[in-house]
Amino acid sequence: MKEKENSSPLSFKELPVGFEFSPTSYELSEPTVAKYLEAVDESADFLALGMIPPLAIAACAMTALAQSFTVPPGSIHASQEFEFLKLVPIGSRVSCGGKIGQKLARGNLNLIVLQINVLDESGEPVLSGKATIAAPN
Amino acid sequence: MKEKPNLADLHQGDSLPSVTKHVTQQKINLYAEASGDFNPIHVDEAFAAKTPLKGTIAHGMLILAYASEMMTQAFGQSWLKGGKLSIRFKAAARPQDNITASGQIDSIEYKEDVPYVNCSFECRNQNGDVVISGGSVVRLQ
Repeated sequence: MKEKENSSPLSFKELPVGFEFSPTSYELSEPTVAKYLEAVDESADFLALGMIPPLAIAACAMTALAQSFTVPPGSIHASQEFEFLKLVPIGSRVSCGGKIGQKLARGNLNLIVLQINVLDESGEPVLSGKATIAAPN
Repeated sequence: MKEKPNLADLHQGDSLPSVTKHVTQQKINLYAEASGDFNPIHVDEAFAAKTPLKGTIAHGMLILAYASEMMTQAFGQSWLKGGKLSIRFKAAARPQDNITASGQIDSIEYKEDVPYVNCSFECRNQNGDVVISGGSVVRLQ
C-alpha cells in the first residue's frame, strides 16, 4: 500500500494498517550533528570519530515520518524500539521509510505502531525501529 | 571511544556507568533545531503553559540519548552498530530536571558463538520518578 498522491498530511484515523510512507531522504551535516551533540550533552566525541550518533539519525527519521500525518492534541510517544545496524559517516545522506504496523484501541486511547527503516546511500540498512504513539479518542 | 569491551570484564549483575544530565530549555530548543521536531509542547512556553502539562517538556528521544550515552560508555562501538533497545516513556522530563540514566547487565548469552549482553536500564528525575524504563541487547563481535 503506497502513500496517496496528495501530499497534505493525513490524519491519524485515515491511516490503515500496512500504509507505507514515501521514503524521505535527508543529510546529516556536521553542523546538524554538532547541534544534536550539544543538545543531548553527549560526552562521546562523535565529531572526532566522524560518525553520526544512531539516535540522531533516528530522531530525524521520526520527525520525517511524523510530518506525513497529523495526530490529535494530547497524543504522546508511548514506547520505542530501535536496532542499530551500521554507523554512517557525518555528511551522509540517508533514506527513511516507514509503514503503519499496527493500530489498537486500549480504553480511551488509540495506539498506532510505526515501523521505521533507515538505509544508507548504498541501500544498506542503518537502523530499524518501531514507535508507538498513543492518541486520545 | 572504545571499539568494544573486554568480554572477561563483563558479568551478570554489573552496574552500567550511570550518566546524569541537566535538562534546560536551551537544550530542548537545540534538540528541536537538530531533529526538526518543533512541536510547541517542547518549544513554546506560552502554549505549553496552557496545556495539562503546565509547561514545556523535553523530547522523549532527547532523554533516551542519555541512556544511549551510558550504553556507549559501557560497550563502545559495539553498542552503536550492534545494539537494540526497547523502552517505554513513563513520564515527562522538564526544563531544570536532573536526569540520571542507570542500568545493569542482566545476563550474557551466546548465539552461534557470538556473545550478547542483555541489560535493563531506566532514566529517573531528581525526585526518583521513572521517566524511561527499558531493556537493551548488545552484540559483541
